[in-house]
Amino acid sequence: MTTMNRRTLLGGVGGALALTAVPVSVNAQAATFRIGALNPVTGAGSPYGSGMQKMILAAVEEVNAAGGAGGRRIEVFAEDSQTSPQAAVLAAKKLIEVNNVRAIVGTWSSGVSLAVVPLTNDANILLLNTSGAPALSVPPANAKGLSYRFQATNDRFGRAFAEIATREGFKRAATMAFNNASGIGNTNGFKRAWEAKGNRVVAEVVYEPNQPSYRAELQRVLAARPDVIVMGSFLPDTTIILREWFQSGENTRWIIPGWAANPQLIQALGAQVTEGIISVDSVSNERAPSFAHFDQVHRRAMNQPGASNVYAAMTWDMVITLALAMEAAGPNADMAAINAKMREVANPPGEEVYTFAAGKAALAAGRAINYQGASSVLDFDQFGDVTPDFGVFFITKGQLERRYVVSI
Amino acid sequence: MVFWIELLIAGLVSGLVIGLVALSITLVFGIARFPNAATGDTMTLGAYGALAGHAATGSMLIGGAIGALGGAAVGLAAYALVFRRLSNRSTVALLVASIGIGFIIRAGLSLAFGHTQQVFQVPLVRPWRFQGVRIHPNDLRLAATAIASLAVVFATLYLTPIGRRMRAVADDPALARVSGISPVRVMVALWLLAGAVAAVAGVILGLRTVVSPEMGWEMLLPGFAAAILGGIGNPAGAVVAGLIIGIAQEMATPVVGFTYKIALSFVVMLVVLLVRPRGLFGRVEGVR
Repeated sequence: MTTMNRRTLLGGVGGALALTAVPVSVNAQAATFRIGALNPVTGAGSPYGSGMQKMILAAVEEVNAAGGAGGRRIEVFAEDSQTSPQAAVLAAKKLIEVNNVRAIVGTWSSGVSLAVVPLTNDANILLLNTSGAPALSVPPANAKGLSYRFQATNDRFGRAFAEIATREGFKRAATMAFNNASGIGNTNGFKRAWEAKGNRVVAEVVYEPNQPSYRAELQRVLAARPDVIVMGSFLPDTTIILREWFQSGENTRWIIPGWAANPQLIQALGAQVTEGIISVDSVSNERAPSFAHFDQVHRRAMNQPGASNVYAAMTWDMVITLALAMEAAGPNADMAAINAKMREVANPPGEEVYTFAAGKAALAAGRAINYQGASSVLDFDQFGDVTPDFGVFFITKGQLERRYVVSI
Repeated sequence: MVFWIELLIAGLVSGLVIGLVALSITLVFGIARFPNAATGDTMTLGAYGALAGHAATGSMLIGGAIGALGGAAVGLAAYALVFRRLSNRSTVALLVASIGIGFIIRAGLSLAFGHTQQVFQVPLVRPWRFQGVRIHPNDLRLAATAIASLAVVFATLYLTPIGRRMRAVADDPALARVSGISPVRVMVALWLLAGAVAAVAGVILGLRTVVSPEMGWEMLLPGFAAAILGGIGNPAGAVVAGLIIGIAQEMATPVVGFTYKIALSFVVMLVVLLVRPRGLFGRVEGVR
């Protein structure tokens, strides 16, 4: 009495296949830990993005070569954020929903990180970023404590600007900020620190992007006769403002964040206009053995010294720190358990370690560790933020020349 | 006083750029009867054309001419390939098609030149001073270029036979047709002119700021505002409205601040439309 028709046959075969398939995929899940590398390969972050992504791959290779972390191999899915929040959100959705990654690593601009963080929070996975916006420190962006920032906040940049302005003997500082979280974060940080030193900001302007001219804005600032103008800005607007400033015939000095006052700016404006501009960027942890090791890997992969890309050092540290946290959390730990170990492996107290292998060995011996990164000493505060040192570069004859380093 | 005069000058130069964009929009609206959203990207194309021309020849004049020709060519191609086929469709269909053309131009430019900003490598000069007022030599040159372009457009419209036909079509397409005016020739002239005007605006904007694939798209809003303010379809109105918006934006900044200066162009437009709904120079029959 065989009443089996085609449909039940197919169903039965399908079910049997499903039964055999499930354990296989569970095994695969247990053996690998997936992360998404979401970096600005194109767009405004393109000078840094390729290096960031290659260093993620190199660090993962090193972790896997040392036997993996917490018994698991790390697998990377790489995407381009295009330095655009829209593109980044699409890529992040794909990484989370299709590739099932447990962390997104290396988002660069604040706009991208702020757009991606709701997705990583909803999925209860980590977001390791290099963005500056103060909003990333606090709820709602970091409501679950799953976001870690490997770059200085814009507020810390502002504090560094104030240190530099004091050291250079400026008395009458004015500020100009691009109207977004990052730009205003820079100048507000500066203002707080500058006024705490007993100084006054003589003029403040917040300007809109994509204007055909910034002359009225400049005129307002220059009317206060500042001796230095402190910027919270990006490359295109800085290019336009500096060009109009030069054509105004005024002599003022400038303190500008490193992502705006970079070689592209010098190329656009020439040596004469950019002479004497002070460009400030966070610098890597250059005297640490971890940096020397990173530098070696970077030279091999990119054919350039590691100091040429501070963000690549940050993404390198992201993978190493995450892997050490996985190792500390033990086999098959879930994301919450791994997240709980992030500060434990990176912050004091503990034995100072400089590589994943050394950290893994120390953990195996039952000792607490304190990973000293290539990008900074990498001690996360309660907001998941770090405090790197700042390099002070003077543009001289069309070259960025580092004169000194300030710590805050 | 010096402060206000300098703001006025800055506003005039910004206003000329807005006026050129509005002129291109209003020409198309008056004759082809739809809002051309590809105007901004035609600007961008003009700026990239001039950039390439300037890099190749070293002459800004030749570069600018190449940019303007590029804009005219794109305008003509858009008409021949798309708008001509859609000429019997509704305004909305044409508008949507123009948005699509804008996307294609922008994406093509990003592919060809990349997303990173480019800059015209022209010498920067210090200003002249008259009674303390700063006059920028580059501004004078750009203003002269803008005014010369306007002169060419208005001479074409009001002094040539094809200009007369264009105005006839703008006034009443059906009547123009029965009078024996070939719509195709008028359209070809229109798209060459509108494309070149937008491209010149792009070249001037690129010279003052930086060239990037999004630069023209960002100028579309003030351009439309000026076209509406001036009375849709009225070329002189568009230019005057552009100047008004440019000057109002700059002169208002000491009062309203910089964050709201963009909003100001819309406040000006709102007030004018409330008081005078057909725009500054529009005629009632012009906006049927």
